[in-house]
Amino acid sequence: MWLLLLTYTCLLVFAGALTWRIIRYASLPLHLRWELYPVAHESNRPYGGSYLEELEWWHLPRQVNLWGELGVFLREIFFFHEYFRRRRSYWYFVYPFHIGLFLLVAWIVLLVLEAVLFLNGFIPHALALNFWLKALYYLTLVTGLAAFILGLLGTAGLLIKRILDEDLRGYTDPIDYFNLAWLLLIFLSGLLAYLLEDGSFAAREFMQGLLTFKPVESGPFLAAFIILLILILAYMPFTRMLHYVAKYFTYHNVRWDDRPNTRGSRMEKKITSLLQQPAGWSASHIQSGSKWNELAEKTGLEDKTSR
Amino acid sequence: MKKKINVKDIGKIEGQLAAVEREDLTPLPMLLDQASAGPAIKALTEEQKSRYESSLDGVSAIGLLKPAGKEEEEEFVRKFLTGLKKLLSRENNWTFLQPLLLSLENCAKCQNCSDSCPIYTESGRQEIYRPTYRAEVLRRIIRKYLKKEGKFLSRFTGSNIDLNYTTVARLAELAYRCTLCRRCAQSCPIGVDNGLITHELRKLFSQELGIAPAEIHRLGTVQQLKTGSSTGTSPKALGSFISFVEGELEEITGRPFKLPVDKAGADILLLHNAGEFISWPENIEAFALIFEAAGIDWTLSSALLGYDAVNYGVWYDDVQFARIAVRHAQVARDLKVRRILVGECGHAHKSMLVIADRVLTGDLNIPRESAIPLLEDIVVNDKIKLDPSRNNFPVTLHDPCNLVRLSGIVEPQRRILRKICPDFREMEPHGVDNYCCGGGSGFAIMDNLNFPEWRSAVSGRMKVKQIINAFKDIPSPDIHKYVCAPCSNCKGMIRDLIARYDLWEKYGINYGGLADLIANAMVDLKQPLIKWEDGQSGK
Repeated sequence: MWLLLLTYTCLLVFAGALTWRIIRYASLPLHLRWELYPVAHESNRPYGGSYLEELEWWHLPRQVNLWGELGVFLREIFFFHEYFRRRRSYWYFVYPFHIGLFLLVAWIVLLVLEAVLFLNGFIPHALALNFWLKALYYLTLVTGLAAFILGLLGTAGLLIKRILDEDLRGYTDPIDYFNLAWLLLIFLSGLLAYLLEDGSFAAREFMQGLLTFKPVESGPFLAAFIILLILILAYMPFTRMLHYVAKYFTYHNVRWDDRPNTRGSRMEKKITSLLQQPAGWSASHIQSGSKWNELAEKTGLEDKTSR
Repeated sequence: MKKKINVKDIGKIEGQLAAVEREDLTPLPMLLDQASAGPAIKALTEEQKSRYESSLDGVSAIGLLKPAGKEEEEEFVRKFLTGLKKLLSRENNWTFLQPLLLSLENCAKCQNCSDSCPIYTESGRQEIYRPTYRAEVLRRIIRKYLKKEGKFLSRFTGSNIDLNYTTVARLAELAYRCTLCRRCAQSCPIGVDNGLITHELRKLFSQELGIAPAEIHRLGTVQQLKTGSSTGTSPKALGSFISFVEGELEEITGRPFKLPVDKAGADILLLHNAGEFISWPENIEAFALIFEAAGIDWTLSSALLGYDAVNYGVWYDDVQFARIAVRHAQVARDLKVRRILVGECGHAHKSMLVIADRVLTGDLNIPRESAIPLLEDIVVNDKIKLDPSRNNFPVTLHDPCNLVRLSGIVEPQRRILRKICPDFREMEPHGVDNYCCGGGSGFAIMDNLNFPEWRSAVSGRMKVKQIINAFKDIPSPDIHKYVCAPCSNCKGMIRDLIARYDLWEKYGINYGGLADLIANAMVDLKQPLIKWEDGQSGK
């Protein structure tokens, strides 16, 4: 029972902290433009061009190809193209590790699906007469097994690389080793549960218990796997392991944010309001406490520099 | 040999943190028997060392005076921490808070960015120049001194850094060992931007402590706001430059030539970097010739700031940036022009077309565009008569970072060169993957103590290699070669590199602008615009 309660608690913490982090990033004020080319939605200019290449660009309709953005995102998320292109020796480990994580998420989704089916009288099983129930059973099995093996290889490789590679070691803190070791133990315990306790079956039961609020028995490896997994879920949103959320903002809100400011637009209203905030900087060329728009109007006061 | 440097070493009070030795620098091409050739970095004298802060790498970029005593040191650190808090606050830093927090909080420390940085690689991989080094120092200071992690937690998270006068002084210098080219950001799978972190660090020092290189602040933005130009040229003095250009144009065309100045209601206000008037008037002349021949309705301005497109604020100070951006727009509004055209100045492109876009509102939000698409339209659509055989020399193109990676203007200049230069050849890599000339973010104009030597030995080294390699099949100095650099700061840097590496004498490598090449190909000029013999090589 305590395992179920712990799981509910961790899931709640994860959801709450994740939401808080997303809201925090999303509610930060509109910043000055700082895009970086290539911008993925400029799909007519794959060499990295922008609408600023056009004569009198402001008269032309702005073309934003979302498929272009999606393509770059998918290439990065599912292939880790930048690592593949620039740092192959790192890609060999970071790629299986992340694919292991994605498969782990997919495996959990499949388990939820199976549990829902089971509770409605459809039993996914190797001997099921229905083809789809049989396929689902094997798909879940293969997904889980692949997640554990790839994740284990990836985390072990990254740990070793961070220890041996001088470039990485100087920037790896105890917390980084701790996080990687934690992830390694998740994949390892999952694999052992699979191999030694028929974890797939027990994990299904646990998932059913989770949905119906009924405690289930589980072996030591599965219990270790579940505990490690749910605890990291609750811990992750407070760390930089949440960079997958940040990535949405760094790409959409910074690198690819080339929206022009037009007269009378909502953006202009936002800017006008931001310019009316006071700025508290203290250097002698800034009149501390003045509004940004007032500061922009003033010049030529007594100035002091370093030399 | 380089000693191993850790992040926390920046706080070690004793001695100099790192030293760039000539033998650490990467070898130059075609000079195989002199692997370490190129300029050396002169050591500061004992007197200079005792006066100026140089404990980072023996170089002084900002001329930071050493404090008089303990009290001054403590005040310096206290102000730094106050500034750091402001940098992380909505009110004081709305301008860049979102990208800054995203970059500070999400780096996976994978070092994928390191090899993108030419300063790091060309210096022989000096640890302190690694793109993640200064960012990591800043993160650790934030965790330990602002978030106040306890002793155990700070050890666990690696926030083992001492914040003292030396740490802050070295950080101030370190903020000027990056050209803000943002090549590192381009290579980050997460989107972390170490160039931005450097930019923000510069802002902290300028906006809170009043520390910035004199060439950028006192002689740069402050002088521009007071006299009208960072070159010190007043509206009155501009008149003599205009007369000089008109005289030159008369010689080239064989007829009287008047530049349009302060023509109210013109279609275009053309804003040049005022450095062109002083160092490269042929670029101003080229624009005048092309626009006149194409029948463009344009004007220059003689109003305060109306004749200098530069905005050094973009490199170090949001307030100075906004002041200059607003004045540029006011000049255009008062002249009642329809649009502003930015000449061949890379950072003016980024500041005016990109960053100022979210500063200028209402009647100050006047359409602004690059001059390059208009030049492309004129050349590619045969609006003037050109003879490409007049440019019958090898030409390569240097891509200013601000133009390509930071503004997305990549192909128009290439379409022009392909049409008017029979031997146009790309340097590698190019376009949005280009390397900075080494003079970006103010480096080209910063001349404090031994910084110019560091600049040409380290930050400009990759560009020298690229330029030589672009012409490696024709090394003879008898074959004159042209590096086209459509940016005043890049031209200044390339001029410096040509002089310091003897590229004119050894390889016959010269440089100039884009409009210069177009005007040089104009069929009805009495004299060619590009004069190889009289100083364009910067000798």
